[in-house]
Amino acid sequence: MSIEIAADTFASAPPQTGSDRAAASMRRLMLAFLVAGFSALLVGATIGPLQALNYGGVDAYPALRPLLQSYYQGLTIHGVMNGYVFTFFITCGLLVYLPARELGVTPNLTMWRACFAIMAVGALCVLYAMGDNSSSVLWTFYPPLKGSPFFYIGITLLALGSTMPLPILMDMRRTWRRHRPGEITPLVTYMSLTTMLMWGLAGVGVVAELVLQLDPWSLGLISTVDPIINRTLFWLTGHPIVYFWLMPAYVSWYGLLSRQVGGKLVSDPMARITFALLMIFSLPVGTHHQFSDPGFSSIWRGILVVLTMSVATPSLVTAFTIGLSLEYAGRLRGGKGWFGWFRALPWGDPSVAAQVLAAITFILGGATGIVNGSWQLNAIVHNTTFIPGHFHVTVGSVTAMTFMAISFWMVPHLTGRQLISRRLALFSVWVWFIGMTIFAIGMTWAGLYGVPRRAWVSALPHGTYHALYGAASVPLALVAIGGVLLWVASYSFFAVFFGTLLFGRHAAPPPIPFAQSFGGPASSTIDSPPNPARSASPLIRALDHIWLLTGITALATIAAYIPILWPFLHHVTRAPGWILW
Amino acid sequence: MNDNTGMSPLESAFHASAERHERFWIFGVLVMLVLLTIGTMFYVVHDYGLVTGTHSYATDPQAPAREAAFQDGKVVRTGPNAYAVYMVGRAWHWSPDVIHVPEGAEITFYVTSTDVLHGFEIQGTPVNLTAVPGVVGTVKYTFHHTGLFRIICNEYCGMFHHAMVARIIVDPAGTP
Repeated sequence: MSIEIAADTFASAPPQTGSDRAAASMRRLMLAFLVAGFSALLVGATIGPLQALNYGGVDAYPALRPLLQSYYQGLTIHGVMNGYVFTFFITCGLLVYLPARELGVTPNLTMWRACFAIMAVGALCVLYAMGDNSSSVLWTFYPPLKGSPFFYIGITLLALGSTMPLPILMDMRRTWRRHRPGEITPLVTYMSLTTMLMWGLAGVGVVAELVLQLDPWSLGLISTVDPIINRTLFWLTGHPIVYFWLMPAYVSWYGLLSRQVGGKLVSDPMARITFALLMIFSLPVGTHHQFSDPGFSSIWRGILVVLTMSVATPSLVTAFTIGLSLEYAGRLRGGKGWFGWFRALPWGDPSVAAQVLAAITFILGGATGIVNGSWQLNAIVHNTTFIPGHFHVTVGSVTAMTFMAISFWMVPHLTGRQLISRRLALFSVWVWFIGMTIFAIGMTWAGLYGVPRRAWVSALPHGTYHALYGAASVPLALVAIGGVLLWVASYSFFAVFFGTLLFGRHAAPPPIPFAQSFGGPASSTIDSPPNPARSASPLIRALDHIWLLTGITALATIAAYIPILWPFLHHVTRAPGWILW
Repeated sequence: MNDNTGMSPLESAFHASAERHERFWIFGVLVMLVLLTIGTMFYVVHDYGLVTGTHSYATDPQAPAREAAFQDGKVVRTGPNAYAVYMVGRAWHWSPDVIHVPEGAEITFYVTSTDVLHGFEIQGTPVNLTAVPGVVGTVKYTFHHTGLFRIICNEYCGMFHHAMVARIIVDPAGTP
């Protein structure tokens, strides 16, 4: 079976034309986003295992003064660098670069550069505020804990910058549609656009919290804030952010992975339905992070459970579609029987191995997520180590490993340098997979013993630590072991990533592995042969009306939040700030 | 997606099979969701289980803690086998930090904070309530075992967050 893909012409074309210069600028910018993102991960992932050791009863922090004053300062840096800076940079690069190459349209480079610059300034402000221990408020920065203005303004810039790919994407789609009237938006662009629309809507919560309350408060313009209103606004964004972490990974799974394994995507419509559902359902459900808070009615808690369970649908659809696409490729490669196709996948390709292993960890991640989203079960695990156990096998595996997977083909693609070591890359993703799984099993298990998350338990007197958490000694030991393995994995990865950038041998850059779907066109670039949308079903045509989707999502979100915020807005608390670290 | 032109036989067969199984899978997912919905609604109507409630709001975050019930920090008998416990979270201790309650009695905890958020977790039980400045939250629980339980702060509250631990001693039923 031969599969034609869009010709990747930049390597061979003469270097004089304007579009070539634009292509070179795009590659440089994309590389800048990658390097900035993975540099943030380098900082965050270096600190992470210290927190895992903490739960195992090993307190490394006294040895790290004056670099790190406390566990809580380290944890703040870990959460912010990994959760915000790393993911935002990679995503804001990918979700412009991939659609631009899919459509064959040059993005608005000025705006894309501004996106990078705004986020970079934000990241530096936040790093400064965290580095001098003036803002050890953790990544959730719940007021009335009060950090420095640099922290809040930095987060504001990061949040605003991260929504800038939205207008860039809208603009590229408009250009493409002008040339190809009546055609359905190509898949990668569609997925990127729904992700950014979701994020643009979701960002309203935290931007309101920051601009209306925390920024002026930290600057001394207002003296008090309302803790519970701000907490609610935070989770209005804080829940959708998990989809802002997840959906770019899905873009790679749907849009690229099936080609990387040598097959095709078995269903293009399912990918679109998945993204539309993720967009609609991720927004109204943020308050399920507040099941343990006073203040809103039990009826709403019930409704939130239903809505939260609904958001599991698109992920279960993904499990099916991606699983079947992998099976198709495996069978093409000669895999036989029930599981032969799985063994027949190209496991020697670190990019494939990372994504398939990431998908496997998501079974644990998704299942624990359903526990968290179920009100009564949530009461048992709320704010225990179960919660970080859960999200380390979502964002810490699905997102991180998929981004690592992308870097394995993208760094050679952008720089024309070969990976310095395929074996070390494979080693890093396998150890990451094993380490993260052990870590997550330990964390979720320890959570059932009531071990609180985000607690410097290793600083407690030995007797107290054992009296409180001795019963959880086995799971807590697993946490520490997982953490150490993750150290090995992350440094192996960084050796490959930065080593390739600096020392990789020059070779022909590989093309972007855009997947073809069953019955779909080989290429969707603006100058490819016309692809009349005759095969698109009415549902797919309807889903292409993204403003309709946006409207539905916005309405659902407003409907969900009015009854929740209503009592809070009528009983405002004026809480002064506290600096307690 | 009924247009199969340009597909190889394997691809066509796979496509047809995919569409069939896809419908079955989505049907299964939707059935599961509907069952979850019905189950949840039944739970909501029939028995809320453990619910965090709201007792009062205050503009001044220090105000609730100035009320007599919170100041005394006592266990108040409110019925034949019902007690109220008033608990204030402050960085970094719970007040009162040792309480005795009888086994088998319905205990209503009234919890607030005077400074930042705290988390009222009773280890080994599903009791889990955010202590919010300016809000008095409630949660009801009945202990069915005697012995020592620990209240662990599970919402980050600063440098000694991890040391914010109090004790509940559940005495055998009938102890005065």
